[in-house]
Amino acid sequence: MSVKTIFKLAGLAMAFGTCAQPTLAASDLALQKGHEYLAVTNYPNNLHIIDAENDSLYKSCRLPDAFGPGTIQISPDKTRAYVLNNHYGDIYGVELDSCNVVFHATLSQQPTERARAIFSIGLSPDGKELYSIVNPTRMNRDNYVVETPRLQVYSTSAGLNAKPERSFPAPRQTTMLQAADDGSLFVVGADVYKMDPHSGKTEVNIPLRNWTRPLYSPPDVLYVWPQQRPQHTFNLLYTAARFKDEKMNPETADNVYGFIDINLANGKSELVDFAPITEVYFTGARSPKDSNLMYGVLNRLAKYDIKEKKLLQSASLDHSYYCLTINKAGNKLYLSGTFNDVAIFDADSLKKIGNVKLPGGDMAITTAQIFTR
Amino acid sequence: MKHLKPINHKAQQLEQAAAEDRLEDVVAMSSIAGCTATTDPGWEVDVFGGVSSLCQPMESDLYGCSDPCWWPAQVPDMMSTYPDWNKAANNSSEDWRHLGTVFPKDK
Repeated sequence: MSVKTIFKLAGLAMAFGTCAQPTLAASDLALQKGHEYLAVTNYPNNLHIIDAENDSLYKSCRLPDAFGPGTIQISPDKTRAYVLNNHYGDIYGVELDSCNVVFHATLSQQPTERARAIFSIGLSPDGKELYSIVNPTRMNRDNYVVETPRLQVYSTSAGLNAKPERSFPAPRQTTMLQAADDGSLFVVGADVYKMDPHSGKTEVNIPLRNWTRPLYSPPDVLYVWPQQRPQHTFNLLYTAARFKDEKMNPETADNVYGFIDINLANGKSELVDFAPITEVYFTGARSPKDSNLMYGVLNRLAKYDIKEKKLLQSASLDHSYYCLTINKAGNKLYLSGTFNDVAIFDADSLKKIGNVKLPGGDMAITTAQIFTR
Repeated sequence: MKHLKPINHKAQQLEQAAAEDRLEDVVAMSSIAGCTATTDPGWEVDVFGGVSSLCQPMESDLYGCSDPCWWPAQVPDMMSTYPDWNKAANNSSEDWRHLGTVFPKDK
């Protein structure tokens, strides 16, 4: 068999291989202005755009390198998606209309360094800068040295070999971040920090480990989905014990769920208990049409009255979903993460109204984003 | 340290750090940070001591735990050590039979 024949056969095999997969929607389909979309990522390494008006898969982009975690940020002009991927080590920028990769940054800065960003990816309000706090380890031949985390600031026009324009020491144990309209960064860690990406100045903005709420335990936070909400807020859930008295007896304490909502337009935040803990939610969000309604998801979808601290309604799910997204109108809920289907629920009745099966594998710990072009 | 004698480089570093008072207080972490995180009890039992708030089915939680090296789950660390563990099993609910056990390489 000649070399030429082998190449031809290889080409055919690749073509058939592609056809045998669930269909990937055309990659060069442009997004429509004024239209609402949902972006998610999944294995082996896809970025999917779902049309959030007719709830069907609109297009799919193949991303380079490896998947994980697939945390997405949509640019303010809604033309690009930036994805933290390649086992938490690289950030890619993709033009949504063409699927072309136009930005790539490897977070490690030295050959002997391994830097990982724990869901840390955010954009400046004008979309010109990209932020990520990385956790570097210097890997020597006979020992590893855990180094100080640092905020790396990139220009989003830096192309495919982007290097940080600036970097600053950052607090340890941080995860998500988001930029407020004044340019400062809200960074979630042991406390919520406010960080100036021009000077590196960091201060505690919302005390969590160090909060001083009387008769409360320190809160526990497990929240790694930096979702860009239609309300332009940055939100997370916490759990805490509320003790009966100064004896702080955990046996008689009430355990509560609460949320933190940071208004990115003015930097003001709310920290509110909304429910007793009866089950676990991985993500939660307030309704854009009624700020007194709170939704949460993991093994069930639940809706709460915040003021009354009362469960209003719940719905069973086919399986666990990590990530809850609400559309701009506040009438549809999109459940994503874990497996490879996005479940769609009516936000009022909590009835299931759709399901979008994605080509490819698990979404795992993806961060879904809703946006209007 | 009276009865302990460091015999390798790492142990010497520990002794040196103690001698120079370069010790940090240990504070219980209240926020996830890669392989070392909250007081999550793991996959055997949920926060209530039961199982109803564990992910259902367990496969749905598999790569959400292995991708970020979520330490309470007994799955390989895909962030750094075994990045290709699920190469033949992109769809965990259908392909889980292709997932194998992993063992540290001999030094």
